Amino acid sequence: MVDFSTSRSWVESDVFEITDFTTASEWERFIAKLEEIIHEWKLTFSSKARKLTKGELTTGKWQETVESLQFADFKFLVSRYCLNGPADEVKAFGDQSLDSSTSREITILSNNEEEQGSGESGQSEVEEDGDKEVIPLVWQDMMSSENDFPGRCHCLCRWYGLRDFVVLAPANNMEDILSESRANLLMSSVAIALHNTSSQVPIFIQVHQRWRRLFLGQCISGGFRTSFEMVHLKNIPHQHSHMAGLLDVFRAKINSPVADHSLVSVAVRFTYVLQDWINYSWPQQPPGDYLQEFVLLCQRKESTGQLLGRTIGEPVDDTDVSQALSRLTEPVPYNLPSLGTVVTRATSKLQMRPEEAPIPVTTLNEILLFIFPDAKNEAKTSNNAVETITELDRASVSSQQSSAQSEGDGDSQKYTEIFKQFKSAPVDSLCYRLAVCMCIVNHSYGGLRAVIHLWQEFVLEMRYRWENMILIPDQQLGSINMGFSLLHQKLQMLNCCIERKQSREARHGKPSSNNKVKHRRISASSDVTEGGDDSESQHKSQSKGDSSFSSEEEFYECLESAEEGTSAEPSEMVTSPESDQPESMETDSGSTQKAEGRLKPCGDMKLINVNEFLFIPVTQEPAPMTEDMLEEHAEVLAKLGTSAEGANLRARMQSACLLSDMESFKAANPGCTLSDFVRWYSPRDWIKEDVVGEDGTVTVKGQLSQRMQIPGNVWTEVWQSANPVPAHRQRRLFDDTKEAEKVLHWLSSMKPADVALHLMPMLIHASVTKLLEQEESQLPMLKKLMNHISNKATRAMRAPKLDIKRFEVPDLVRQISRAETVLTRAQSLLTKFSQEKQDLNLTIQELQQFVSNLLELPDVQIMGAARGPLGTIIHRLFAAAQKNVYLLPEEDNAEEGDKTIKNIPDFPDPVGKEYILRTMSQRPSPWSRSSPQRMYCVLMKDDFRLAAAITSDTTFQ
Amino acid sequence: MASASDSKWQKDAADQNFDYMFKLLIIGNSSVGKTSFLFRYADDSFTSAFVSTVGIDFKVKTVFRQDKRVKLQIWDTAGQERYRTITTAYYRGAMGFILMYDVTNEESFNAVQDWCTQIKTYSWDNAQVVLVGNKCDLEDERVVSTERGKQLADQLGLEFFETSAKENINVKAVFERLVDIICDKMSESLDSDPTIINNPQTKRLTENPNPQNAGCQC
Repeated sequence: MVDFSTSRSWVESDVFEITDFTTASEWERFIAKLEEIIHEWKLTFSSKARKLTKGELTTGKWQETVESLQFADFKFLVSRYCLNGPADEVKAFGDQSLDSSTSREITILSNNEEEQGSGESGQSEVEEDGDKEVIPLVWQDMMSSENDFPGRCHCLCRWYGLRDFVVLAPANNMEDILSESRANLLMSSVAIALHNTSSQVPIFIQVHQRWRRLFLGQCISGGFRTSFEMVHLKNIPHQHSHMAGLLDVFRAKINSPVADHSLVSVAVRFTYVLQDWINYSWPQQPPGDYLQEFVLLCQRKESTGQLLGRTIGEPVDDTDVSQALSRLTEPVPYNLPSLGTVVTRATSKLQMRPEEAPIPVTTLNEILLFIFPDAKNEAKTSNNAVETITELDRASVSSQQSSAQSEGDGDSQKYTEIFKQFKSAPVDSLCYRLAVCMCIVNHSYGGLRAVIHLWQEFVLEMRYRWENMILIPDQQLGSINMGFSLLHQKLQMLNCCIERKQSREARHGKPSSNNKVKHRRISASSDVTEGGDDSESQHKSQSKGDSSFSSEEEFYECLESAEEGTSAEPSEMVTSPESDQPESMETDSGSTQKAEGRLKPCGDMKLINVNEFLFIPVTQEPAPMTEDMLEEHAEVLAKLGTSAEGANLRARMQSACLLSDMESFKAANPGCTLSDFVRWYSPRDWIKEDVVGEDGTVTVKGQLSQRMQIPGNVWTEVWQSANPVPAHRQRRLFDDTKEAEKVLHWLSSMKPADVALHLMPMLIHASVTKLLEQEESQLPMLKKLMNHISNKATRAMRAPKLDIKRFEVPDLVRQISRAETVLTRAQSLLTKFSQEKQDLNLTIQELQQFVSNLLELPDVQIMGAARGPLGTIIHRLFAAAQKNVYLLPEEDNAEEGDKTIKNIPDFPDPVGKEYILRTMSQRPSPWSRSSPQRMYCVLMKDDFRLAAAITSDTTFQ
Repeated sequence: MASASDSKWQKDAADQNFDYMFKLLIIGNSSVGKTSFLFRYADDSFTSAFVSTVGIDFKVKTVFRQDKRVKLQIWDTAGQERYRTITTAYYRGAMGFILMYDVTNEESFNAVQDWCTQIKTYSWDNAQVVLVGNKCDLEDERVVSTERGKQLADQLGLEFFETSAKENINVKAVFERLVDIICDKMSESLDSDPTIINNPQTKRLTENPNPQNAGCQC
């Protein structure tokens, strides 16, 4: 039953809707829809909000709501523009107290500014009415002089001062309302909708072509109708080019039947444009070019071969190399005499004649010398002697250098915190210099081809340095800092390898080749195609390869001097015969073994079973890792899962270091036990207890902690498998040969786009540095912007993978160039204003504040107006420009041109004149109530517009 | 703000069932109870002796926080001096640290400052740290008072808890607090980063005193 009844009621309501005859025609339907929207937007309440504060139309937040509706198949958009959102209406009712004060506001208006005519008006009537009726928001806004000529807002707001209005405009650009009848039809529709809903919001329709911005509108409230009308002309009619003429228009428009003595208040604004900054030339590169061009490289698809011509046997070698590398990683002893050859060839010597190279030889040498300053001395003595980098884009490069130098002083100290968060490279590092050079090379020496050319040279130099054991300049040695960019880490890694190799070669008494061959590659780099360099390095690596893969090279190289040095130890080296029975399980090395690889005694600790000092052994350093290696490693560890077996396996995988340390320890301490090892290595796992002996003496006894005694734990197992081998005879934990080749392969196999991408962090860093160096970056608005950029840069650089599309780089670069633009404007303005400031009482702070405001705000007040220092400066700037316009020389011929000078006004003709005329009038008949009238006029060279809001009494007509 | 938005984590997030993945690190001197603490939290188990950690180990636990599934990957580190270089390499990727000392061991407490410096050196500045004094069940052997712990935490600007992995005191609370402050920090850094910064269109005095603006659809 219940079901039945409900379904029936549904049917009934459906039928009811179908038989709705009220919206029969398209026109009626259009009006109905308009009314619906008015209701939906709750525009039917009479808003009676507080009065607008000064400048609120500009500073407040505007809200725009849009709906679409149709008149037949003609689409319209209805938009509502409302200051501070529609929230005002909520409090519209209820606070009557505002009422009288607002109506009084209207009467006070006439005291402002210029006055015309004199005497009485119908104000009192309005005031009386005000007690009973609500003064519509529209009237308040029209007559309020707090917001004349607002800076940034909708044009209707600028012309009529409204804070809440609706605009009805054709949705399609092509369907402008050109005919008068159509416009009238729309106006009638609006009138009907307003009447039916008794909404007090003004509704405008847009007519004619959009660019003309012609609107008609109306507002109905309290027995009045205000119609908004507009005139738009291309030329200023002669009789209306002055205020008197405009006043005539205004009075004619109002056409009050009462003898018109009412006050008309007038607000005026003249606009002058200062275009000629004749005394100051300001040559300036378009900002952001360098950086923006470079960002584009990150998306290029070309391969190195495509850009620079085929490289020797590229495809074949590639596979060879990967095999060679996998062979390298195999733990079995290997013999790879061909490796050097393969890899060297794979670094792709360019098959390119010098004259075809994108970067000319001399320039290239200059650039390389800048990137590798340590090669400078050598190069100067060589035939190729070139001056330093003077010809290179000096401005940019030197600024980078200066930024590095000025790092110490106070201002930049503040930024070190910012830069510490950047994942790039130190300012004085190779990576940083390379990035800056690449950017300049891209901009000035032939784009991506040149970039890749330089990159190839750079990779060659890296290989050369590895093979000849020349440290890379300015890298932080020893440890890889994952706080830097991956490229920098890779170079750090390469440097680690070079350093290890150096010390190894040094220990084997090989004469250091450094001094002899040092940096020959750079000066010889012009011989790229001549093969001399090529074959030379191949030879070298081949011969080196032979030696470096000989069996002895597999061992860890470490300082062994300690072995001899520590013979000054308290006890003799000879191991004493064992008196106690050793725990044979733990002492797997014979105590008769000779101690090896000692670093120093561990305090005055003695071995437990042997009367011998406990020695800290020389140990191998753990292998350094770059972040990609670490990530890979961590991933492997994580893949083992969280089970007990997984954990055990993980421990074993990481026990190489422990094993090495244990072996070193055993070698240094013959007769030692795991307990001895633990006492040095993990002291808290050695539990000491005071034991009182039979004779009352207290002796300290110790034992391994519970966890060290767990049967089969990693520590005991590794201890058992450890042989007494000093570090220098152990297998290397860190295979520098392999790692160096991996880095070199990584560098040489990078695609051009990847190269650019990997250089981006340093470039962003350099750009931000450059911006912050300018003192104008301290202006409040720039400070804010720079802060934002720094944060964004930090985040972008730390993203796990540099990805140019998802990655915020393009946006970041846009922001940087915007900051550069703003900065340049600030500098320009400051310079111009400072020139005139000498004799005036104006501090630099005031000037900076003013410039900052100019950049940031739509309107800036000039304190003291024309008589204030800023006003004076502006006046002078205009006057100087005027003199220039009239082609007057600065100082000369002053007497001659005296007359003319006097005739030249200090200011040019205003480019725009604006007037707002306001009054209260009784219309259309003598017994009508007095109502507000307003007309806005703007007069420009090609634009003349009158926007009138004329109110008439619809009750007492 | 760093790793939560990492693509790597997001990829994982697609594979598995969680919204965020936080990587946390437990650090502190050897034998302060890091492994026990982690086992208590992840497995709710306790053994008086775990094998001394070699290098680095980890456990996983997923928690719910503010309607979000947060997967915690908690890395447990070896405390021995010799492992410093290996473990500090992992700091950069961590969003939170549990810095632990043993209330029965003065030396481990004295080392806290040093560990803090390590964090500052090797991690990003937005990593969050909680200071934890473990083994608070061993009241008889206590040598570091709660007050001293608190004081040091204040001085270093860290949150502070005393815990016992053995008696299961405050273990969960530590992790929950750490996750909370990481979440707070994340949303904070999102708030403070207005992606739409007002374009300071500078006002120029031009021939057209009515510059086009967004609000005007003409």
